[in-house]
Amino acid sequence: MTELPFESIVGAWVATGLTLLIFSFLYKDNPLFKLAEHLYVGVSVGYVIVKTYDTVIVHLVVKPIVENGEFALLIPVAIGMLMLTRYVPKAAWMSRYAFAFIVGMGAGLAIPRTVSSFILKQVEDTIRPLLSVTGPDSLTFSMNLLNPASHLNAIIILLGVSSVLFYFFFSIEHSGAGKAVARTGILFLMISFGAGFGYTVMARMSLLIGRLTDLIEFSDASYGRPTVWLSLLTIGALFLLARRGRAQPPDAH
Amino acid sequence: MIFLRRQLPLLITLVTGLLFAAQYYVPHPASEQMLTSATKWLQIVGGFALILGVTSLFHQHAVKIRRQEAGWGYSLVLYVGMLGTIAVGLWANGKESVEGTMTAFGWIYNYMMVPLQGTMFAILAFFIASAAYRSFRAKSREAAVLLVAAVIVMMGRVPLGEYLIPLSGDVSSWILNVLNSSVRRAILIGVSLGAVALSFKIIFGVERSYLGGGKE
Amino acid sequence: MSLSERMLKIDRRIIFLVIGLCTLLPLLYPVGLPIKISSEVRGVYDHIESLPEQSVFLLSIDFDPASKPELYPQAIALLRHAFRKHLRVVTMTLWVSGTGMADQLVTQVAKEMGKEYGTDYAFLGWSPGGQAVIINMGQDLYSAFPSDYSGKSTKDLPVLDGVRSLKDVGYMVSLGAGRPGVEEWYVFGKDKYKFDLGGGCTGVMAPGLYPLLRSGQINGLIGGLRGAAEYESLIGQKGKAVAGMDAQSATHLAIILLVIMCNLFYFSLRQQRG
Repeated sequence: MTELPFESIVGAWVATGLTLLIFSFLYKDNPLFKLAEHLYVGVSVGYVIVKTYDTVIVHLVVKPIVENGEFALLIPVAIGMLMLTRYVPKAAWMSRYAFAFIVGMGAGLAIPRTVSSFILKQVEDTIRPLLSVTGPDSLTFSMNLLNPASHLNAIIILLGVSSVLFYFFFSIEHSGAGKAVARTGILFLMISFGAGFGYTVMARMSLLIGRLTDLIEFSDASYGRPTVWLSLLTIGALFLLARRGRAQPPDAH
Repeated sequence: MIFLRRQLPLLITLVTGLLFAAQYYVPHPASEQMLTSATKWLQIVGGFALILGVTSLFHQHAVKIRRQEAGWGYSLVLYVGMLGTIAVGLWANGKESVEGTMTAFGWIYNYMMVPLQGTMFAILAFFIASAAYRSFRAKSREAAVLLVAAVIVMMGRVPLGEYLIPLSGDVSSWILNVLNSSVRRAILIGVSLGAVALSFKIIFGVERSYLGGGKE
Repeated sequence: MSLSERMLKIDRRIIFLVIGLCTLLPLLYPVGLPIKISSEVRGVYDHIESLPEQSVFLLSIDFDPASKPELYPQAIALLRHAFRKHLRVVTMTLWVSGTGMADQLVTQVAKEMGKEYGTDYAFLGWSPGGQAVIINMGQDLYSAFPSDYSGKSTKDLPVLDGVRSLKDVGYMVSLGAGRPGVEEWYVFGKDKYKFDLGGGCTGVMAPGLYPLLRSGQINGLIGGLRGAAEYESLIGQKGKAVAGMDAQSATHLAIILLVIMCNLFYFSLRQQRG
């Protein structure tokens, strides 16, 4: 077996320690968790600042200006600088120009693309499958529920889309036929929320599986079994903290 | 002054908004060139926006440290973590690896940021289980429908579920592909209509909360 | 206090312990139940299979470490498949905190498959602006990414020969954990630049992308760890996703049992109280 590099072994100990500090929250909120939480925010912010500086300033601005003389790029830099005037109370109003530019442009870019992608295309796909019922010389209607493209499913989809939209847009007191449509909409919504919950459970469990897989890997002898030793240490620390907490009156902090 | 502070920003929004909405329908080379340049600008401005977003934390925690408020030690940890990462990152030229070899910045990323962020989200697994036990009750007919759909999908999306109840796979697939699709489609259409309406309100100056920064 | 009442007010740490054990034990002692392939995942696989050699495959790794367990295995399986098919692989990310991870996974899979940087694949890195990056890439790829992750000029990369914008991409897959992700790649990318688009996403997002799948706006969808496990099975190289599926089964069953128990106690309590 090849020996692991020193930085990987130290890394495994640090990663395991930090993972366990966060997991200690499951017992209860405690200083170990708070420490890891603040370190997480600090490291993440530091990381974003470095990457943004390297990508934006070095690669998107300075290099093109120095190498290709693209001086027009100073305009977005100026707009960006205006944005940072938010930190100077007297000049903060100047940041409005920057926000006006990005919000205006964002809105302008979004309108035609959203209409085309999410309104027209989605409405079209709700109606188009139903048109194929009438073939060139006969009527065909497929009833197979398990085939998502069957005509029966196309009708169910039309029913679902229209009843949910009806429920959303007509927020009046429903009665008669309207009530039936709104109730159908609610039924569809509940099924979809249920499916969403099922998938959310799947996602959350996957994240836990991922972290535990790493902890199992780091319990290996080649790393010096950090998972085992640091778990014992974390449990010991939590025990001590709990005892100290009990010894002090509740209003001491 | 009022023009500079209030009306000019609204005018900029109006002009850029209408210009870029119209651009979509004008495939002329000049119009395309304008889109290329402007989106490049937006990329760069996006970087500044990101910095503005994350640096708002600086002030808040600096005040806590200076006044030695409760928990200021944690703020100090935050600052040390941030400044340490920035120093190491700049030293490594912002690269996590150079020709396949991990830098010190890459080490911080791999062994600190990845496990910290990963575990922060992994603990949600425990809370969703606890929440399911505490509040997932069939108190009404609607709640019962939601519960049954959730159970079918949870069964149908894992091998053990499909093994125990072979039909659960097909049923959950039908729920996702047909019933769920129709609802999500309605939501997508509804939300998109709302987003388009909001975009128009922004362009025409009806919605102005994004301007913030000052009374005027 | 009756049994039902006591059970409904049980210390949540007991539930935490049950979930912890249900995850840990199958990881230590796997069973290896077979995984059925869904048409959603097959959509992506079949499309990559149908691409001729040397087609350009763009993979956008739009997630951060928070979603690593779900999307990292998807990315590995997709890259293995693309490299095996001898496609020209171009990778990037729209998520700043995912940059290091994206770099690592691309380098790792390329090394494993014996691929050479610059000729067989490239990693363009990250660029801010989300939708602006997508549109700019659709207009001119070299404007959006003048240099790659390591700082080399993208115009000098042989892997990008003949590629000027997103219009020249053979197939594009976004592995998204939120915004920007698959939806943005459609709205700001495919809608105008007409390339073939597939999607991969976290479990939380998957149900929301089914309308795009139905309308053919995306031609396949890999959802969560389950989707990753299916893809690993399709390419015949089982990895972390397949290994995690037993634990996934156990935790799902545990939650279903918890929900059933909670309802039994709830109804018995309601009956007791009349």
